[in-house]
Amino acid sequence: MRKYLLKRVFYMVLTLFLVATITFFLMKLMPGTPYSNQQKMTQQQIQIMNQQYGLNKPIWQQYVIYIFGMLHGDLGTSFQFSNQPVSYLISSRIGASAQLGAQAMIFGVFFGIIIGSIAAINRNTWIDTTSTVVSIIGKSVPNFVLAVLLQYYIALKLGWFPIADWGGFSYTVLPTIALGVGPLAETARFVRTGMVDVLNSDYIELARAKGLSKFGIVYHHALRNSLIPLVTLIGPYTVALMTGSMVIENIFSIPGIGEQFVKSILVNDYPTIMGVTMLFSAGLVAIILLTDIVYGIIDPRIRLSGSEG
Amino acid sequence: MKFNRLAKLGLVAAFSAIALAACGSKSTNSSMASKQVLNWNETAELPTMDLSTATDTVSFDMLNNSMEGIYRLGKDSKIEPGLATKTQVSNNGEKYVFTLRKNDKWSNGDKVTAKDFVYSWRRTVDPKTASQYAYLFSGIKNADAIMNGKKGVSTLGIKADGNYKLTVTLEKKIPYFKLLMGFPVFFPQNQSAVEKYGSKYGTASKYMVYNGPFTLTKWTGSNLSWTLKKNNNYWDKKDVKLSAINYKVNKSNTTAYNLYQSGKLDETNLGAEQAKQLSNSKDYVVRKNASTFYLQYNQTKKEFQNKKIRQALSMVINRKQFVNKVLGNGSTAAKGYVSDGLAKHNGKDFTDSAYVKSAVTYNASEAKKLWAEGLKELGVKDLSFTILSDDTDAGNNTTQFLQSQIEENLKGAKVSVENVPFKTRLSRSTNGNFDVVVTGWGADFADPISFLDLFTSSNPENNGKWKNTQYDKLIEASKTTDASNTTKRWNDMVQAEKILMKDQGIAPIYQQSLATLVKPKVKGVIYNSAGVNYNFKNAYISK
Repeated sequence: MRKYLLKRVFYMVLTLFLVATITFFLMKLMPGTPYSNQQKMTQQQIQIMNQQYGLNKPIWQQYVIYIFGMLHGDLGTSFQFSNQPVSYLISSRIGASAQLGAQAMIFGVFFGIIIGSIAAINRNTWIDTTSTVVSIIGKSVPNFVLAVLLQYYIALKLGWFPIADWGGFSYTVLPTIALGVGPLAETARFVRTGMVDVLNSDYIELARAKGLSKFGIVYHHALRNSLIPLVTLIGPYTVALMTGSMVIENIFSIPGIGEQFVKSILVNDYPTIMGVTMLFSAGLVAIILLTDIVYGIIDPRIRLSGSEG
Repeated sequence: MKFNRLAKLGLVAAFSAIALAACGSKSTNSSMASKQVLNWNETAELPTMDLSTATDTVSFDMLNNSMEGIYRLGKDSKIEPGLATKTQVSNNGEKYVFTLRKNDKWSNGDKVTAKDFVYSWRRTVDPKTASQYAYLFSGIKNADAIMNGKKGVSTLGIKADGNYKLTVTLEKKIPYFKLLMGFPVFFPQNQSAVEKYGSKYGTASKYMVYNGPFTLTKWTGSNLSWTLKKNNNYWDKKDVKLSAINYKVNKSNTTAYNLYQSGKLDETNLGAEQAKQLSNSKDYVVRKNASTFYLQYNQTKKEFQNKKIRQALSMVINRKQFVNKVLGNGSTAAKGYVSDGLAKHNGKDFTDSAYVKSAVTYNASEAKKLWAEGLKELGVKDLSFTILSDDTDAGNNTTQFLQSQIEENLKGAKVSVENVPFKTRLSRSTNGNFDVVVTGWGADFADPISFLDLFTSSNPENNGKWKNTQYDKLIEASKTTDASNTTKRWNDMVQAEKILMKDQGIAPIYQQSLATLVKPKVKGVIYNSAGVNYNFKNAYISK
């Protein structure tokens, strides 16, 4: 197991290094300068500015300087927010994004499992049909549409929750729902399919014959087995929540990192682009490793084959 | 009993007296609401409060309201007293002596003195500061040499004689010099604060000192809300009515509009669709920008050297229909290249004086005629070209509209469109890598020269390479021989714009504006189209 983990961590670092390298050179291919006022500056002034920021050096030198700085935990200073270290921009805004993402994930997975299980147990009844319809709607309505609807009807018309902004828990409810409905729908579908299969299997028949309660069968036997495919979904969910949060943060005026990322690309804010890309990649790679480990814990067969390789 | 009645009468009399006395006090006070707090919407973060490195409108707006310079720009960009109590200008217009008031303080308790200006200006032009707006100092003695690293900052033409006398020396007369003094990049900075906070200076409200009508609070450097609080150290605090302005960043227009409806905001920007629906609302206010979008022809290419082709492409654009039906965001049809509402002379707006109707008016039949003649002169039957523009909503709408209008009306015209990110569009323009580009230009200060300078043949940003010797001469005269004569200078610029328009060197399309909603109870907000937009010094909330 330890050997397996070490190998995985090595690949992780390698992946991140490749991401950093590729992003750096792609970014340098983007036209224009990071100066918002470049139209009005003379060529001479742009040259002096480049000198100040070390942008006149050959690209490979800039690359070496950047990687060296990153290894020392220095992500550079933002162009757009003058003098502001990128590490501060990220650390001051990552909290809101992380909280929102985590809440949406918990909300989606938790209610997804409940709805999926209920649907499977009550297979082919109106409950099942309703949950399927809800899942399909949840999956096909884009989260920004849902966000706008929730904001208008629940917040503005009914006044149950704040329209936008970021403060206490009440501010997080609507964005969490908007962002979490996608994972909820997907989870419900997976859990239902998995559980229907499991409920038809011989050992459940046996458990039933032993006289176990319905709840006992579902909770102890069926649920655990039907959760295995779900673990593979956590990775893609994380990606969806990260990208989805950019729009949701925008709609609910949440001081998160997603929106910052889009803006930094548009204005050629090189250090911020690199910083946020590295953060997102590191998060993703870590989640993938984590899911593989969790997968092993839930399904011992995978753990065995993993340690062999 | 009797006594009781008398007492009652007495009370009534007393109350009446108080009421009458209240009526007699200043009328603004009686019409003002008791709570003077304004809730304002912003669409972007506040990136910096360092006036030497600021580049965006949010920063400049916050600086303008929390700092004070030599002058403050009032309504219609009129110069109002700031720190200067007296201004002396030498006969040749190359030397300004400002006498500063003695009663303004920094928020750290230091007095605001002439040395703060000297320090601030030197800091901005120092190449090490990497200020993107330092080019506005060009024309002040030695500024260019310092910016290019050829001279030291101490040679800059600004000098403090004692604490309250400031002398500025120019290389040549700058007719709009006083206007510049109202722009935050020319405001003073407190040396001890800059040095104390070092690299943190201006990165959060606590790493900054203020000397203006308000002080900034609750800004962490990256958050989405902050507050301007009335500054009790301000020299003219009696004229500042608002106790606070709360800013909230809402990047989604829909969200901001919902907050506006719920009463959480007193102002909001509108998107195009909202603006179309709400243009009859009593809260609807259009804020004109000093920025014009126009077609720039690449005149290194033979087909666009033909004036008839250029004219035909301009006449085929139905600008009114475009701004009202397509853009719908409050923007107006361009009257010319220089923006409307920017500058006036003897009460007449520049755009009215320099108006060339045929250059900005839809005339399909004339366009068809000119197009056919143009093609004949070029010796071709058809002409295909590409229109380059931004990949924004406005950019996409513009190219689609142009494409359909041109292909519908002009026989043999084949238009392809290319919508690219702003930075790509800029670099392609600079490199001359385009046929026709939809591009914009915004003025930094309220003077037509801020626009007209662009199309002199020596200007490196004249990407279309339109050239006209008469135009160049007029612009040169406005800066030299006619610089001291306001009327002559004005006429030079009017003539220059007319030449540009008659030759259809470019085809102006629209003047960018912003549709907003403002609660009618908000009064006294000053908005200027160029340079700094908002001035809240005298704003208040009525009952």
